[in-house]
Amino acid sequence: MTAAPRKYRLAPRSWTIPALVFVAVFFVMPLVGNLVRTNNTGEAVGQGPWFYYVKLLTDSYYSGVLLTTLEVSTIATLASLLVGYPVAYFMARYAGRWTGFFVFVVIAPLLTSIIMRTFGWRVLLARHGVLNSIFMHLGWMTRPPNLADDPIAVYIGLVHVLVPFMVLSILAVLQGVDRRLEESARVLGAGRVRTFLSVTLPLSLDGVITGCILVFVITNGSFLTMLLLGGGRITTMSLLIYQQFNTSGDIGFAAAMGNVLMLLALVGLGLQMLLHRRARP
Amino acid sequence: MTASQLALRDISKSFGTVQALYPLDLSVPEGEMLALLGPSGCGKTTTLRIVAGFEMPDTGSVTIAGRNVTALPPNKRALGMVFQNYSLFPHMTVGENVAFGLKMRGIGAAERTSRVRTMLDMVRLSGLEDRGIHQLSGGQQQRIALARALAPGPRLLLLDEPLGALDKNLREGMQFELRQIQRELGITSILVTHDQEEALTMADRVAVMSQGAVVQLGTPTEVYDTPNTRFVAEFLGTANIFTAQVRGRDGDGWEVALDGNASCVVTAAIPLATGQRILLAVRPERLRIGPPGSGALDARVHDVVFRGATFAYELRAPDRPAPLFVYTHERATAAAGDTVGLRWEPGSAVVLQEPT
Repeated sequence: MTAAPRKYRLAPRSWTIPALVFVAVFFVMPLVGNLVRTNNTGEAVGQGPWFYYVKLLTDSYYSGVLLTTLEVSTIATLASLLVGYPVAYFMARYAGRWTGFFVFVVIAPLLTSIIMRTFGWRVLLARHGVLNSIFMHLGWMTRPPNLADDPIAVYIGLVHVLVPFMVLSILAVLQGVDRRLEESARVLGAGRVRTFLSVTLPLSLDGVITGCILVFVITNGSFLTMLLLGGGRITTMSLLIYQQFNTSGDIGFAAAMGNVLMLLALVGLGLQMLLHRRARP
Repeated sequence: MTASQLALRDISKSFGTVQALYPLDLSVPEGEMLALLGPSGCGKTTTLRIVAGFEMPDTGSVTIAGRNVTALPPNKRALGMVFQNYSLFPHMTVGENVAFGLKMRGIGAAERTSRVRTMLDMVRLSGLEDRGIHQLSGGQQQRIALARALAPGPRLLLLDEPLGALDKNLREGMQFELRQIQRELGITSILVTHDQEEALTMADRVAVMSQGAVVQLGTPTEVYDTPNTRFVAEFLGTANIFTAQVRGRDGDGWEVALDGNASCVVTAAIPLATGQRILLAVRPERLRIGPPGSGALDARVHDVVFRGATFAYELRAPDRPAPLFVYTHERATAAAGDTVGLRWEPGSAVVLQEPT
């Protein structure tokens, strides 16, 4: 009789305990706390578990904010896609050994502090900012607009941060599309545009969807860009949570909104996993 | 003389400082299958990509069916192409793949359906229209790729290492099948391959390429039996190379002395002069083994290997660094360590057209 060979392990399982404890205390417990808080704080006491959620969805002001959030996220996602796809396509097809350099250039904005980056846009877009000064100097305008406190500025700031996520998602898939498939289409009589629409784009759709979900979810929760560039003219869920928490002190309501945002993120994650499973049967 | 379906005139191409292709002229008559054969980096793929329109030649012109297409993009050249990895569209069914070229040419849905059926019948894969590409075996994918390339009725079929990804048995079967389909359709074809057996089996003519130039162009038997350079002799199978000196005329042939003073008679396609030093190539299956002293030279048997169809001898001769090889169907008559004599028929030794 021979003893069963002992399974090789790099480290015993007990080593994961500190990490699990850390995640449980600082991540899982606060989230569970948020769920409880929507039920037993403020106005919700004695009103049943769905009170704040019903208020959020039925009160026209709050549901309007939710719709605005989804609208901003949708526009930011589409804008990032329009900017990001050509960049990813260029990198996958023409950058060659410069790909690494371009990846660095693309992710460089993420290496800057979000506050610095956002104030940078204010410097450029403000009424007496750099852009307007140049335009005035060239005589292209006489009454400079203040773009720094405008939804336009929010979108510019968002796209600036989000394009890297879009580019990297699409690039990863585009690099896996065999160029000979495109060449096959060309030989079979398809022009450049037909080849792109019937071969390249369908085959890179996984990357497009991944990028869109990622960007959409990130925009839903982004806060500083809206706060610093929106000038109060655009109110999204994250700003509303901030107000509820700091101004109104309605922590239960703030928690409910946070949970709705988390649900949206989970739906995105679920879609992404579904897509992944479909791609690898 | 038949009109050439493809004519390359003075085609050359360089990538950066690398000259991939030196000025090249090549014409392929209608219905012929021409193989471009050579090791990787010899320029065969560059030539094919220039014909397809993926690369622009630095100089020269490409004429297909009498029309200068040098400046036309690939989609305007009416070509069919089969790639090494088949390159079928993974997001389309078999039927959609085969119909793709027809669709691009604006052929209606009804005609497409019937044409796809005809093509699938031709490659003996009838009824697989709705299959996904990943449900097919390698051999089936290869046939679908051929059906897709031929469906729009191209003027020229380009085959880029079409059988390279198949295993050996399947490859041999497909060589004959592909050849048969090509002959039945009478479609002019260019086959790019590094596999000499594939080129000899399938092509009407073989262009052997090396370092950006065609070094020999001829029928399979011509390039195999009468190679003009050492490179061609050694790339198309195994060759025993001897250095020798011409002694004088002997009837139709020439009497030459091998280094080591044994002499023999050879025929030559090029004029020779007495005293000239030459290179001789003899195929291993053309060498005969006899008793010592009976042939042009003596050699010692180093090893004998049974290879199924033949016995392969590896021999060493004095003053000769490279081993000699003999393939024979006869039962092993000599064992390792024996000294034997080697001889050959006068027509079996080929005088190479290059200086020693």
